[in-house]
Amino acid sequence: MARLRPKNEQSTLICVGYESPNVTEMNDWIAIGMLALVGLSIPLGMMVVSYLIRPSVPETSKRATYESGEIPTGGTRIRFNIQYYMVALLFVVFDIETVLLFPWAVVYQDALASPEYGLLEALGPMLLFVAILMIGLAWAWRTGAVQWAQTRTQAASDTDRQ
Amino acid sequence: MAVFQLAEWTAMAPALILAGTALALFVFDSISPHSTNRSLLAGTAAGGALASLAVAVWFIVAGVGTPTVDGGLGEITVLSDQFVVDQMALYFMIIVAIVTALIVVASYDYLVGHAYQAEYYSLVVLAATGMSMMAAANSLVTIFIALELASLPSYALVAILKDNRGSVEAGLKYFLIGALSSAIFLYGISLVYGATGHLQLDNIAEVIAAGDADPYGGLLGLGILMLIGGFAFKTASVPFHFWAPDAYEGAPAPISGFLSSASKAAGFVILFRVFTEAFPLGDQMNALIGFDWTVAFIILAIVTMTVGNFAAATQNNVKRMLAYSSIGHAGYALIGVAGLSADGGELVMGAAMMHLLVYGFMNTGAFLFVALAEHWGVGRTFEDYNGLSRQAPIACAAMAVFMFSLAGIPPFGGFFSKFFLFMGALEASAANTAMLAVAAALVVNSALSLYYYSRLVKALWIEEPATTRDRLARPTGLYAAIVVAAVMTVLILPGFGPVVDAALDAAVAALG
Amino acid sequence: MTVGVEYYVLLSMALFSIGLFGVLTRRNALMFLMSVELMLNAANINLIAFAFYHGNLTGQVFALFAMALAAAEVAVGLGIILVLYRNFRDVDVTVPTTMRW
Repeated sequence: MARLRPKNEQSTLICVGYESPNVTEMNDWIAIGMLALVGLSIPLGMMVVSYLIRPSVPETSKRATYESGEIPTGGTRIRFNIQYYMVALLFVVFDIETVLLFPWAVVYQDALASPEYGLLEALGPMLLFVAILMIGLAWAWRTGAVQWAQTRTQAASDTDRQ
Repeated sequence: MAVFQLAEWTAMAPALILAGTALALFVFDSISPHSTNRSLLAGTAAGGALASLAVAVWFIVAGVGTPTVDGGLGEITVLSDQFVVDQMALYFMIIVAIVTALIVVASYDYLVGHAYQAEYYSLVVLAATGMSMMAAANSLVTIFIALELASLPSYALVAILKDNRGSVEAGLKYFLIGALSSAIFLYGISLVYGATGHLQLDNIAEVIAAGDADPYGGLLGLGILMLIGGFAFKTASVPFHFWAPDAYEGAPAPISGFLSSASKAAGFVILFRVFTEAFPLGDQMNALIGFDWTVAFIILAIVTMTVGNFAAATQNNVKRMLAYSSIGHAGYALIGVAGLSADGGELVMGAAMMHLLVYGFMNTGAFLFVALAEHWGVGRTFEDYNGLSRQAPIACAAMAVFMFSLAGIPPFGGFFSKFFLFMGALEASAANTAMLAVAAALVVNSALSLYYYSRLVKALWIEEPATTRDRLARPTGLYAAIVVAAVMTVLILPGFGPVVDAALDAAVAALG
Repeated sequence: MTVGVEYYVLLSMALFSIGLFGVLTRRNALMFLMSVELMLNAANINLIAFAFYHGNLTGQVFALFAMALAAAEVAVGLGIILVLYRNFRDVDVTVPTTMRW
């Protein structure tokens, strides 16, 4: 492992903020530490003060999850509608595919500026890529993957209307 | 030179035609969702596969890939060397296109009453696109992308019978092993990249030859081992073969045939290309990574063919028997890499390529016969197949051809490719005596395989039917595909000369 | 002060091993998927660290492709897990055993 030393200077990884320490820079760290200390002590102090001066009236309804109004029913571990997963699946695919636009965007201006590539060579492949994605999206749309699930009565009223 | 000059990217036409066909099917399904117009869908897919086949054959005849000194057009590189279209690429594109066409035609009948017609065909053609691109991929980037393009639709295809527990289970197992092996493969790529600084195969070889990778031999060796893991998954060879029996048994039978023929061939082409282009054998390579990678393949080949054949011999389920026999045949084809040496190995690698082509016909045909049996609903075990020849003599004759050819009995194509493999292994043993053991394992395993292949033929032709059956249907598409596969398995014998030439030329070009 | 590339390799190997351990021990299909994602991202760390080290961009661009492919793989995997649940009422990968040799 010790053999794995960087080959050249440009490619080395710089650990940001680590420079030779001196007294003035240490002051910056003291300031940050003080900020953290104050930031923690204010809410803690308020909680302690309110604990000391508030009257204590134990009551069962105060222990409920939502104190005012609604009586909570059931747990939070419910099953989500399957439609959430369908939308999530589509999102995962189409969202991540756009990451491939970034390297293209980085070289786009340079490619246009260079005499080797025209607008067609620079823009065309990405248009093709997006067009293929559009076919996928259109397919998902048409086959009902993005359609929100309907209850039976809704579906029945839809067919009545058609 | 050609009479007219095409742009360079058109060299990828066999893969591009398949991609266009898949997109056309998607567009059609978007315009009219849930269409059950089977003729149109299967026809489009088959047309695309045949067009791809025709273009690939035309290219090979026109001399694409033939070295320019022999009057050919030379290798054509696309996208700054990311893809290379040479004889080996075209040869495997042809195999993929043939298998795809057979599968699509057979699926026409298999999918009667199925809910996802258009999706099925477009996924098949997309997977074929990935396999076709694997044939031409010339850098680890394109290899990985093409491999995933072939794998992802395959997972979905195996699990496409959504209400069939076997199909879903098969899809799950295939996906889990596939995801694991692709992660290992990607990690292997990253290590090779770390050791050499390149992902392009020829650049990797240059860096190794120049000695720039010398300090990183350990990384490179580990990376190569991990790459072998990825290839083993794709070709269903030993460390990652567990998925194959379950996936093939649970999947719709045409898909089993597709995966075990085309997908396996595509796995082998990247295996051949990576190990001949990027990691050329020689003392320098051995000293660098600390071992001779042919040793790994010799062990894998022997273990794979033995495991596959012994497991196949104990099966009662026909589809599962074919699945294990497919693992055994992966072991035979691995001989093509195991027999390489620093200054030779064209014969053995060419023989492996021939075997993969013949295998494309006979194995696809065998799985399509299983598809036909599933279509009839006769059952899955050997006993269920008893006496089928009374009702369906043509299909059973074709099945007998496939079985004997798979076993390597002389009058059929399978004999010749196995014979060449045997001769190639013997020739390679001059450089590496361990190849003698491989040749011996090939003979022993072939003899063993004759037992279980002939057992099926005996069930079909000699045994009395256990139950009385009604007249069996004769679905046109399935019958046509089976008969074409059988005729090709037989006809490849007189036509073996060009196949031998093509495969050997491709091997020489790849090694040269 | 620079961070040597070997530390990145150690990090990615640790991540890869954690993922592999998860793959081998977890029975929940979703946890399996997450473990595989860990392994893929370990490879991505390697690719990017080596891209810096070698001073070329190939590794970084490939890491983008690997991410996109990983997302596609997850999508297909989740789809298969959904049909698995519908058929077996469970996402435990050891439950489906209709096929055994």
